[in-house]
Amino acid sequence: MAAFLLEVADVSKVFGGLVALKSVSFAIEEGEVVGLIGPNGAGKSTLFEVVSGGMRPTGGTIRYQGEDITNLPAHLRRRAGMSRTFQKIRLFNNLTVEQNLAVAAMQSTPAGRTWKSEVQSALIRLRLTGLVDRKPSELTLADRKKVEIGRAIVGHCRMLMLDESLSGLTRDEADDLVGEILALNRDLGVTILVVEHVMPVVMAMARRLLVLDYGTIIANGLPAEVARNPDVITAYLGTKKGAT
Amino acid sequence: MMTRFSFNWIGIACVLAVASLPAWPFSDSYIVAAVIRTLIFIALGQAWNVIAGIGGQLSLGHGVFFGLGAYATAILFNLWGVPPWIGVWAGMLAAALVAVAIGGITFRLRGVYFALATVVISLAFEKLARFFVDLTGGDAGFALQFLGDSWWGLQSREPTPFLWPALALVVGYYMLTRWLLRSRFGLELQAVRDDEDAATAAGVAVFRTKLMGLLLSAVMTALVGTLHVQFYLTIDPGNAFGLFQAVQIQLPSLIGGLGTAIGPVLGGAVMIIANEATNWASSRFDVPGLDVLAYGGLLLFIVIRAPEGLSGPLSAMLRRRPR
Repeated sequence: MAAFLLEVADVSKVFGGLVALKSVSFAIEEGEVVGLIGPNGAGKSTLFEVVSGGMRPTGGTIRYQGEDITNLPAHLRRRAGMSRTFQKIRLFNNLTVEQNLAVAAMQSTPAGRTWKSEVQSALIRLRLTGLVDRKPSELTLADRKKVEIGRAIVGHCRMLMLDESLSGLTRDEADDLVGEILALNRDLGVTILVVEHVMPVVMAMARRLLVLDYGTIIANGLPAEVARNPDVITAYLGTKKGAT
Repeated sequence: MMTRFSFNWIGIACVLAVASLPAWPFSDSYIVAAVIRTLIFIALGQAWNVIAGIGGQLSLGHGVFFGLGAYATAILFNLWGVPPWIGVWAGMLAAALVAVAIGGITFRLRGVYFALATVVISLAFEKLARFFVDLTGGDAGFALQFLGDSWWGLQSREPTPFLWPALALVVGYYMLTRWLLRSRFGLELQAVRDDEDAATAAGVAVFRTKLMGLLLSAVMTALVGTLHVQFYLTIDPGNAFGLFQAVQIQLPSLIGGLGTAIGPVLGGAVMIIANEATNWASSRFDVPGLDVLAYGGLLLFIVIRAPEGLSGPLSAMLRRRPR
């Protein structure tokens, strides 16, 4: 059990009478790249918020590095190395690129290293060194996404959760960013959970897919297997359940 | 020729000019008093700027902290003979306690709750100050027992001795703000201002950051309150806790540049100079009301032409010139 970096057990989330998540369980091992997919309204965002600490689940437990973090505030999850990005980019718009990263580095730089060197290495890694003094409003969308990822990985980052990071990018920009993200996994051993609703993007990145539909996990396995799974096909095409 | 001077040199020249003001040939106690008023006005703006400009938490009732500083000092002095250099600590402590109470209740919520709470607390303290007549002198306010020139009571017949502490306060707050903008705490405040969710995602303790920012701002404001009451020797509920005062506190930063170190200094100075100039013109040309009209028009013009405050266009202008 302790081998898993993240364990989500029997998690549910109810908004008033609406059941957004129904007894969701899965686990992620250190170093994995996992995709979380599902049709619109499947509960991906809710699950993402519950795991990253933006919402408390109605029931169930979340364990990270073997510890129960179900009620741990979101900022302490980040300091423990669990980072996230946002579906709609959220940067500190009045701070420079460098300061955007510094704020995060100051919170989570491990002992023995300095936040300045952490910021520097993240800037170099994401090829943002030429933009340190710029404000987010002066950057392209692709660079803003990189800054957000930089803010997420700077300092101590063991697990990176990306919420539809590739939306809005051109094909080349998306390929570039996928390369950066996979390099984080390969070079630094960062465990990655990507939420996407576009199948091809996530198929190319993830080595394992979780499929969420109506608040439950309906498939969990290799991308190629999942793509052939009849339940997944039904969920996406909506024939049997007659959705939408 | 201006181009060789950096901002720092202009700043140092201004500080020296103000510090040596009483020695200037045209100087008289009216001008010195006007400059002290300006400095107090600026210092209040600087204190408000910490939580509202840097931390993005809109305090609409900052008069509370100002009033607490003023009243605590004045009450302790008049009723129990406690000198203001001890009373000032009581004022800052009272402001800190109220800040923790307001922030503790409202900073976990988002949106307008904090702003509303500051207004409500302001109104409550104004009522309290009017009600407890024995303690506060009620509606009319009260005057400090006047000792004449006194180190014990920090009082003076002439305004001049207040010039240097007031100037030191403005310079000190300016340096503090500059440090804040680069420090870890200041970056956290700015991150919270720009986006609370993103700040949380960066590992910032948002609630604690807002609370500490308000605490700092409240204590800074209370300190100015003490200086104010020592200088004017009088305080009343409206002047201390009223919403007009609370609005006045916001103006220097809004005019000069919210969230910047130079903003409140520039804004406060421009406003008082404009006010004095329009006053003078209105009495010189004997057109009553002209001053208010011109003053209001000028502020409106600045807000429309430089919505980010005067500091932005000014620094751009100085930077654009060839070195």
